[in-house]
Amino acid sequence: MQNSDILILNDQNLPPDLGLPPAEDIDAELLDNETMGDRIKTMLRKNKLAAASFVVIVLMCLAAAFAPFLTPYEPNKTSLKDRLAPPSREHILGCDELGRDHFTRLLYGTRVSVMIGLFPTSVAMIIGTVLGLFAGFYGGKIDFVIMRLADVVLAFPSLLLAMVVSYTLKGGIISIFLALAAVKWARTARVIRAQTLSMKEKEFVEAARSLGVKKSTIMFRHILPNCLPNLIVLLTLNIPESILDEASLSFLGIGAQPPSTSWGLMVFRCKPFLFEYPWLAIAPGVAILVFVLAFNFLGDGVRDALDPYLKD
Amino acid sequence: MKKKTLALLLTVLFVLGAFAGCGSPAASTPPATTPTAPAATEPAASGIPAKVAPGYENIMRMVTNPQPDTCDPQQTTEFFCVNFMIFNRLAEAVTTGPGKTELIPSLAEKWEISEDALEYTFYLRKDVKFHNGNDFTAEDVKYTFERMLWPETGAKNQDFVDPIVGSDEVMAGTTKELSGVTIVDDYTIKVKLKVPFGPFIASMAAPAMGILDKEATEAAGKDFGLAADKTIGTGPYYFDKWVLNDELLVKRFDGYWDKQPELEGISWKIISDAETMRMMFEAGELDVFDTEFALSQLEYFTNSPKYANNIISGDRVGILYLTFNQQIKPFDDVRVRKALQMAMDRQGLVDALNGGRGTPRYGIFPAGVMGYNPNLPEIPYDPEQAKALLAEAGYPDGFEMTIAHDSSSTSALPRVELLASLLEDIGLKVTIDSMDSATWFATRAEGKLPAYTSTWSADYNDPDNFIYTFFAPGNTVKRSFNFNNPALSQRIVDARAIVDPVAREKEYQALEIAVIQEEAAWIPLYSVQHVFLVNDRLKGFKPSWNGWSDGWYYYDGLRIEN
Amino acid sequence: MARYIIKRILVAFPVLIAVSLILFVLLNVVPGDPVTVMMREHIKPELIEVFRERMGLNDPILVQFGRYMVNALRGDFGMSYKLQRDVSAMIREAFPHTIKLAIYAALVAWIIGIPAGILSAVKQNTLVDRAFMSFSLMGVSLPVFWAGLLMQYLFAFKLGWLPVTGYYSPRYYILPAIVLGWQSAGTIARLTRSNLLEVMKNDYIRTARAKGLGETVVVVGHALKNAMLPVVTMMAMQVAGLLGGAVMTESIFGIPGLGRITVDAMGTRDMPLLQGSVLFITAIIIIGNMVADLLYAFLDPRIRVE
Repeated sequence: MQNSDILILNDQNLPPDLGLPPAEDIDAELLDNETMGDRIKTMLRKNKLAAASFVVIVLMCLAAAFAPFLTPYEPNKTSLKDRLAPPSREHILGCDELGRDHFTRLLYGTRVSVMIGLFPTSVAMIIGTVLGLFAGFYGGKIDFVIMRLADVVLAFPSLLLAMVVSYTLKGGIISIFLALAAVKWARTARVIRAQTLSMKEKEFVEAARSLGVKKSTIMFRHILPNCLPNLIVLLTLNIPESILDEASLSFLGIGAQPPSTSWGLMVFRCKPFLFEYPWLAIAPGVAILVFVLAFNFLGDGVRDALDPYLKD
Repeated sequence: MKKKTLALLLTVLFVLGAFAGCGSPAASTPPATTPTAPAATEPAASGIPAKVAPGYENIMRMVTNPQPDTCDPQQTTEFFCVNFMIFNRLAEAVTTGPGKTELIPSLAEKWEISEDALEYTFYLRKDVKFHNGNDFTAEDVKYTFERMLWPETGAKNQDFVDPIVGSDEVMAGTTKELSGVTIVDDYTIKVKLKVPFGPFIASMAAPAMGILDKEATEAAGKDFGLAADKTIGTGPYYFDKWVLNDELLVKRFDGYWDKQPELEGISWKIISDAETMRMMFEAGELDVFDTEFALSQLEYFTNSPKYANNIISGDRVGILYLTFNQQIKPFDDVRVRKALQMAMDRQGLVDALNGGRGTPRYGIFPAGVMGYNPNLPEIPYDPEQAKALLAEAGYPDGFEMTIAHDSSSTSALPRVELLASLLEDIGLKVTIDSMDSATWFATRAEGKLPAYTSTWSADYNDPDNFIYTFFAPGNTVKRSFNFNNPALSQRIVDARAIVDPVAREKEYQALEIAVIQEEAAWIPLYSVQHVFLVNDRLKGFKPSWNGWSDGWYYYDGLRIEN
Repeated sequence: MARYIIKRILVAFPVLIAVSLILFVLLNVVPGDPVTVMMREHIKPELIEVFRERMGLNDPILVQFGRYMVNALRGDFGMSYKLQRDVSAMIREAFPHTIKLAIYAALVAWIIGIPAGILSAVKQNTLVDRAFMSFSLMGVSLPVFWAGLLMQYLFAFKLGWLPVTGYYSPRYYILPAIVLGWQSAGTIARLTRSNLLEVMKNDYIRTARAKGLGETVVVVGHALKNAMLPVVTMMAMQVAGLLGGAVMTESIFGIPGLGRITVDAMGTRDMPLLQGSVLFITAIIIIGNMVADLLYAFLDPRIRVE
């Protein structure tokens, strides 16, 4: 659930602090990929916290990718003599109820969370962008159908809809993947449509049209690049949301399936041992918090950096 | 953007605060093994407060999880907590000692069995009233049997009435009348069986066979078992209320025909997590904490000297097992099956999963059930020998197998993972397939689950309740065993008709060795000790004979002293 | 105004229908047999078909949907497979707990969020501002279930100040309301802050300041009134949004509300119950948002003109 709900509500109301102003405010002429990248670089140099967050995110992604090289243990290998062993030099986070090294499982759990953070979000945003472009560009029936569908999707609390989709797909990480993609496209579509609508009226689009440039070229070569700042901002909002949603779903037992694991599932599995072995449930929660917070800090920084592109 | 530094600081503080709250974690870890303290000469109070809500001064407070589907005994195979209390059966199985049981007359004062063991005559008690004041008569018994079989009832316990003549027609819906049951007069009823069935009386004492009031049950319709005031029986307690997802409550029935219980009632709180149950018990909000619902907390209690005098345990007359589908290669090879049997570190499983409180098993009949064989040869835990057997069978590098897991059963998950790990030790590659309950049961009924672990405990005290359930011709498919030895299956069917107890026991023990050890048709794991923690104010608590969570809580001496 | 209201209602209604349809299709195309869910292991195979027929599971899906909607409008959401009870009765029993939690949580969110937003706007770019804004960013970054667990551990288990789970008196709602309210508090604080800052740039505020009025009078007397407009509607929406958020919170704190029902129904694959509760929650949210919109239009005449 988490912030996704709030953001959905925000979408219907577009409060100013979201960084997603009405598209009319955007001055298309100002947009230029190179300076955008530069601005982000400058921001990272100046904003220590955002830079630190960026480093944390990169480190965690690397840890996930190279998990097998960072730990001598197998994530699913049980060892009864190490049951619930407290943290020690061999097992820095101790062992779980079946004697599996907790740190190792945390590393492997990071893979699930990183993947869930990146892939369904990207898929959803690609779908949302394409649909938003079409809806905004063609208008009429296409617009009506796509936007009403988006309304309906946004009317659901996202976690509930994800639950229902994964009910249909019978659970597991693939169904979480699809569920999140099915839920998250709508907001992107809405923002991109609004932007396309305002772009359509701009001189350079008019000009391209009168020169007989193909519609697809206009959409993807001329309008799409101008949506980039908004897409980047949306990305920094969507990724942490997806990570939290996956954690919630896994905590409810509908996400990652044992013996593989994810942070949410680890919290759930270690919950009964909270009193005598609190570090077991606390560690994966800290991992979620740090990762999500890092994305939010970075997102705030990026939003500030891209502010001129978003507003005039 | 430097302002966000503070946020990081806050995060760190928050997390540190949480850690600080738990004190020194290592110090609070209980020692790995503490022998259970022997019963002290003077039972010392544990110092658990007795925090009793008004109105619960004389009510035994228990927990249950999950919420029962229904309290209709015919519609459930697992939720009997309320049923045991509000209904009587024709006979009752009472605990006479640890794991020992005896059948005593209940609603049937006595019974006679014909020479050919096919006809049973029940003489019913005359002074019995239902909670609504109705008289109990033979009509109610016949109605109970028939209702179980009517297709529209959708009952789940038809197996118990199945042996009676005419049951197939009633189940098929061609008739409403069960021809094998004859009402002689208001208090005498005759029952004819299709073939002799030794444990028939014992099966009549199973909780599913609670006797219903014809009038009240018909009037209640769909609400029977759901609406407390419409769920009527003859038991020592009546069903007072059911607050969904919160509480079940039964209270003493003043018109009970037998000795009244001393307790004023029993309440079950519906609690879903182990930690909460534990905290409630420690805070004195529970009289009985059934660790079966919270195995993760078992070690904490058994290791803590404070609670040594609050522990009451009984062996569960049941067995945990791992099984595989013999239709799937290479499980058709007895050497492979034996190798798997040898891969099991039974003591290790007991230690890890049940706080060391349990007994490794090598057969199918657990201690406490008639026919239990204490001299059964052990199956050694020997991974090397297992690997050798696999190599001999043509799998020196192991093979891939799948264990199907019912994902709604989170408590079984550690067991599944541990078993998978043990099997990987002998070179297999194990995948755990988490299915939802519906798929799991449906696939199993088709005989297509690859392998799974589960548990079975005695409904009534007879070996038939174990071996027939798993290895009789139809059952072995329904449970995805696909045991394929027609001669042995036939012997299992034939054994049901043996009436002489000595001959019965001999045959069942022979069957156990043939099926489990020679054919290696399933992998016995262990039986558990069922541990209850009891608040100081509750006296005389005894677990039920079969070690179930649900039992018969109205025996002499069970009382509360505030 | 009347036209706007009608228009807004006319928009909400088709969305509601579409939501139901999507829900129904998603939940009813699932392969697998509800009868097996109901019967568990002791079913006789020959009975399965009888039950399917009786439950109308053999009809075409649109017929089933039509029947479902007609019944739903009459307040009949069918029978739970697992608990064999009226779904609508279960929802009726559970809803008060959920709405109570949502209201307590909203109170927490407002009590923390609005003053925090005002303070950090007034003290823009000071330590106070940063502290409050960081606090609210944490609120949206914390996994609810984990925050809930830690609070149970700290305040209920270690310190013994509050009960762990339950719903018997307002005391029991303190922890769940804080957990659930925290994340909304963050949103409200940010919104209050940015609106207030926006309003403070206006000429009439400068005029008020120029007149020599104290800062408190300026903020409370002049700026706040206008800055709070979007916040008020946001608050109305938040109560609806919190209903959805209650799903996780209720399962952790043992409150027998709609969220708990939904999660249980998910676990036992109890389709009618899942469908009924999700539909109900979603309907409430759609209606809640509609009311919030109308409220906004009522408070801010500019909307109506548009």
